[in-house]
Amino acid sequence: MTYKRKRHHKEDNYRRRQWNKKPKTKDLDQIDDDMKEENAQKLIHQEIDFDKPGLAQHYCLHCARYFIDDRSLKEHFRTKAHKRRLKDLETEPYTIEESERAGGLGSFSVAKKRKVETQECNSILENKPKEQKMEN
Amino acid sequence: MRIETCYFCSSRIYPGHGIQFVRNDCKIFKFCRSKCHAAFKKKKNPRKVKWTKAFRKTAGKELAVDPSFEFEKRRHVPVKYDRELWTKTVEAMKKVVDIQQRRQSHYVMQRLRKGRDVEIQADIRTVQRDLSLIRSPAAGLKERRAEEESIAEKVHESDVEMEIAHEEVTL
Repeated sequence: MTYKRKRHHKEDNYRRRQWNKKPKTKDLDQIDDDMKEENAQKLIHQEIDFDKPGLAQHYCLHCARYFIDDRSLKEHFRTKAHKRRLKDLETEPYTIEESERAGGLGSFSVAKKRKVETQECNSILENKPKEQKMEN
Repeated sequence: MRIETCYFCSSRIYPGHGIQFVRNDCKIFKFCRSKCHAAFKKKKNPRKVKWTKAFRKTAGKELAVDPSFEFEKRRHVPVKYDRELWTKTVEAMKKVVDIQQRRQSHYVMQRLRKGRDVEIQADIRTVQRDLSLIRSPAAGLKERRAEEESIAEKVHESDVEMEIAHEEVTL
């Protein structure tokens, strides 16, 4: 019989509470689905949503994050977090089907590598939200 | 009732064991024990964690591609109970597992054999490099020099004979 560990590091409990407060973001396989051409276009050119930061006009596809304006979005593209995410997406994401194949349900194939590039940032988007803000 | 596979380590989950997580897009992630669930919550990549099946197959440690893996499938077709069919399938399952295990062990042995060859090559190289530590390169040098000198003398003698013969011919 195994028992649950009674003692924890004091700091650990504090940090665990912090993690639990964080909202669950999209997983890599969901983002892989978003990266398909038709889904990507929909996510980059979203309709105006007042609940989202920057009226949902500045969305980073690979990090699944909204930014307040085009400048901060471009700044984000230069950050380490974004580059790390691009690198993570280079290999095909791990899925439930793959876990089954690894367990002996069909032949297992090694994940392929591909090239992932940052989405294009067009200047038309830059002016668009400003005009709409004026109207509102 | 079904025997499920764990999302993280791909092991069997028998009824009454493990925990499952349903993501907001209706995908169900099943875990065999809290170890796997905790690893998932920490966003670990199963391909990079050494104790998972996904790691062992991507790293080429175990047999990954084989027609014997095609027997086990999720069919989603209800079959009416038939005693004869049932006994036959159970027998076939035993045979398939037997063949699978034999192939897997054969694959592992082949993999290890390659390592043995590399080891032998490395051993030969070290012996050749460090042989001077066991036997000095200067050992038997005097004898070798004496031998060389005697050969040189013989050559010299033969040269003299040749010259004499040549002179005789010209005269």
